[in-house]
Amino acid sequence: MDAESLAPSLSETARIARQALSDVAPEPGVHKPDPILKAVGVRRNFGGITAVDVDRVEVQRGSITALIGPNGAGKTTFFNLVTGFDKPDAGNWSFDGESMEGVASHKMAARGMVRTFQLTKSLTRLAVIENMKLGATGQRGEKWWNGLLPGTWRSQEAEIEQRADELLARFKLHHMRDEYAGSLSGGQRKLLEMARALMTNPTLVMLDEPMAGVNPALKQSLNEHVRGLRDDGMTVLFVEHDMDMVHDISDWVIVMAEGRVIAEGTPDDIATNTDVIDAYLGAHQGLSLLEDEL
Amino acid sequence: MMQPSRWSGHQPRRRAAQLVLGLLVALGALLCSQVASAQDSEIKIRVQVKDQQRDAQGSADNQPVAGVTVNVLDEAGTQIATAVTDDKGVAVIPVPEKGNYTVQIDEETLPDDKVLSTAAEQKVTTEQFVTPTRTVNFFTGTSQSASQGQLERISQRIADGVRLGLIIAMCSVGLSLIFGTTGLTNFAHGEMVTFGAMIAYVLNKSGLHIMLATPIAVVAGGLLGYVLDRWGFGQLRKRNVGLISQMVITIGLAIILKNLFQFFFGGRDKPFFDYTNQVGKKIGPVTITPRDLIVTILSGIVLVAVALTLQYTRLGKATRAVSDNVDLASATGIDSSRVIRMIWIAGGALAALGGVFRGLDEQVSWDMGTALLFLMFAGITLGGLGNAYGALVGGFVVGVLVETSTLFGVPTELKTAPALLILILILLVRPQGILGQAQRVG
Amino acid sequence: MDVTYVIENTFAQLVGRNACYYAIAAIGLNVQFGYTGLLNFGQAAFMAAGAYGLGMTVSVLGVSLWWGIILGVAYSIVLGLLMGIPTLRLRADYLAIVTIAAAEIVRLVVRSVKFRDTFGGTDGLKDFARPFQNIGADIGLEPAKTYGFWAFKFSGKDLWVLIVGWSLVVIFGVFVWLLMRSPWGRVLKAIREDEDAVRSLGKNVYSYKMQALIMGGVIGTFGGMILALGTANVQPDNFSRDLTFFILTGLVLGGVAKVTGSIVGPMLFWAIYAFIESVLRELVRDGPLRWGGRTIIQSTQVGQVVFMFMGAMLIALMAFRPQGLFGNRRELAFDGR
Repeated sequence: MDAESLAPSLSETARIARQALSDVAPEPGVHKPDPILKAVGVRRNFGGITAVDVDRVEVQRGSITALIGPNGAGKTTFFNLVTGFDKPDAGNWSFDGESMEGVASHKMAARGMVRTFQLTKSLTRLAVIENMKLGATGQRGEKWWNGLLPGTWRSQEAEIEQRADELLARFKLHHMRDEYAGSLSGGQRKLLEMARALMTNPTLVMLDEPMAGVNPALKQSLNEHVRGLRDDGMTVLFVEHDMDMVHDISDWVIVMAEGRVIAEGTPDDIATNTDVIDAYLGAHQGLSLLEDEL
Repeated sequence: MMQPSRWSGHQPRRRAAQLVLGLLVALGALLCSQVASAQDSEIKIRVQVKDQQRDAQGSADNQPVAGVTVNVLDEAGTQIATAVTDDKGVAVIPVPEKGNYTVQIDEETLPDDKVLSTAAEQKVTTEQFVTPTRTVNFFTGTSQSASQGQLERISQRIADGVRLGLIIAMCSVGLSLIFGTTGLTNFAHGEMVTFGAMIAYVLNKSGLHIMLATPIAVVAGGLLGYVLDRWGFGQLRKRNVGLISQMVITIGLAIILKNLFQFFFGGRDKPFFDYTNQVGKKIGPVTITPRDLIVTILSGIVLVAVALTLQYTRLGKATRAVSDNVDLASATGIDSSRVIRMIWIAGGALAALGGVFRGLDEQVSWDMGTALLFLMFAGITLGGLGNAYGALVGGFVVGVLVETSTLFGVPTELKTAPALLILILILLVRPQGILGQAQRVG
Repeated sequence: MDVTYVIENTFAQLVGRNACYYAIAAIGLNVQFGYTGLLNFGQAAFMAAGAYGLGMTVSVLGVSLWWGIILGVAYSIVLGLLMGIPTLRLRADYLAIVTIAAAEIVRLVVRSVKFRDTFGGTDGLKDFARPFQNIGADIGLEPAKTYGFWAFKFSGKDLWVLIVGWSLVVIFGVFVWLLMRSPWGRVLKAIREDEDAVRSLGKNVYSYKMQALIMGGVIGTFGGMILALGTANVQPDNFSRDLTFFILTGLVLGGVAKVTGSIVGPMLFWAIYAFIESVLRELVRDGPLRWGGRTIIQSTQVGQVVFMFMGAMLIALMAFRPQGLFGNRRELAFDGR
């Protein structure tokens, strides 16, 4: 079963990423040739329960990596830890070679790491275009003394607006540009959040359950957008339950259960991995994950 | 003197009827109290002897001094009349005409531990008789010889702190639980405290002994809590009104209630009619009136009962579960809205009881609850917002802290200031409070 | 009932000193609460900082009045930091609790006997407004002469305060309006919606919240200064526990997150207040208001009745028309929090 022959034609970046990963053994905690994100010895307890206990996780630059696992595996907690939205009890991780220990969540975006949220956080009382413009980093007008003098930020704002319009067009949201984000449908809000995240010019995009609550008609288009991110040179790490998406677009899959990484590999490796199947299905042995959607 | 309980064993209907009757009597008394008193045309000198004290807010809280002999001398220096101050510290002495007199206090008749802080003599002149009655005030203070030793002072402050702490704890349990279960910070909770004292006062004034007025006030407090949830905040929750909007509504409610109380009660502090003028008894290093002692003990008993209820009864466990995590509790089959209703009722009842105890402790005023609100907030933040035991512990600590702060040089009028410092400190160091769970950031 | 008295009083209060300093304070409160979602329930403390800062210069420190402005602003910044540092990283309720506590302590301190030499105790500070009043007289407004027409009659002294005060309203109003249309304003509005989203986009939410808190506080400080200059007296009782809540009522009435709302709202608040109070006072002028032989309202109780009404108005607004007069219904329709 050759993933390449089933999937639509891959871009050059995807080819490179898959090439790099093809030499990597499907072992939990395995090293990657060119990791953009490295987490070592990360632990998080909540009142006696160990939510996360990860020895090593590395994410290959330029790939689409999926983070999967049954409910309560600690995926979102790990996500929060690595993006600075939670503090670990132990461990450290680095992004793009720089240590991220103790770095506050808002500094992440400045360094090139952006995340989305499982429960979409569209800023409902702002217009779609304003949502987008908010995403741009390094805005002069965001200092209050500059804010008073439109001259200092008008031109930058125009540039930002142009970029925002382009992204909105790409995500097919341009017609809703001046509407309140609150009037968008659930699926549209997902797209908005993804588009907004791109305004930060990230190198690593971290999506927390991007398919949650999205109607099937939109899923294909979302898949395309995620692929597009990789093709533009970004690395994507996403948490998902939707196995079809995982299989369709990921270059690499990391499986967590009960706070630990129990398996890693290509989607095909994982689909037939008995440890993974056990973790998900318990007594149901011998079934490929693809046939049993969770 | 304890009256045998008349309530036990009777039907609820009769009790309700007596309750309604009591409330009607109170209402009638209120409305009739506006009648101006009849004028008296006799010439009198009204002597008042008061002991100067300061209350928790630093304002005057003067207690009457009874049993003091007062002499009135005429211009020639001849004693023409004498009288003894009653239990309100007042002696009214008729004089033949508007003229010049000297009013004298016989210092030997003062209580052992008091000395005059004003002169023992005051002169009254003809012009001062603007109305037929001329009032003359004398003030006393604690004498040097009776000033307490170091140990006694510390013990006294701790005893006062324990009493205040227990009252704060009692009042704030409801506040903390309402927050824990619904996320609402109830800024009208102070008024629920005052409400209890108001009801008790009205009943007390119309003749009902405070021991009987108190349970009625507690029931009224519970009723208020019920009404506020059933037709107020419960409805707002159903309509999905945002928490901030609800919070602002509690502020509006607080304003209405505050002014309603002031409207009916007036601006001055007034004591209850029973158990006033008690003499402090010495128990070890502490001097305490029987009333304050009983208030302290009763508060302690009530709080222990609350803690036991929370720990061992089904309702208590359900309350703690809902306060911890509403969705999870609902998922395990607990009827969250019923629990929330019970919390409003119990919270209101406890606040009312706290109000009555506070009124016994420090007199009743229209804004007594508002002054306590900030201390309650400090207490529940210290103990852990949403944690019932936290409210008990935090409230108690704040009370003790406030009263003992005067030992460290904090002036009495500012003794609530350390509570703010504690608040800021705990938020810097351990925002979830002593017993709270660390919140997940972001 | 003297209807002319009622109407004149109402219109006079619409543009009078009270509406003026309330409006300044409301503009500041709007920056904090309306735009950023900060629960500052201690705006009265910021106002007291301004008033006492001003009052202290002449009475206590013996320096020129202009230093008072700087002192007031300095107090206000310190106060903002003191309240913000422990709370702005935590949930919104904590700021509410701390600001109420702070306002209470500020009030107790300035009316205390212990600090009477600095703050004047319950009598407060006087004798500081002369330099300010002199400026008014110098430009031609005679203090004792009455200017104006119909309901809008003001003494020269008052008119000068009003001119300065309402100018400040316009200046701060434009200031806030400009800021809120800038990217800085956008960040604040986004923070009100969802802090985490804003954090994930790389903005230092804590810093922005602090900026909003202090900016709103400093604007409120100027409101306190106008209060002080208007009455030529700074008293602790001016900064009652409920002052912030009444300013909030004015703000909600006008419409949160709208500059016009923060100005017109307090004006209307005072007009309504004056109207109800005047009507009631007229009714009890010749004797307590009676009905069927029972006294309903005495003259001493009028104040409480008016306040009760204002409290009810606040509740009605929040329950039925949270966007106030000028607010955007659509915007507020998305309030799920």
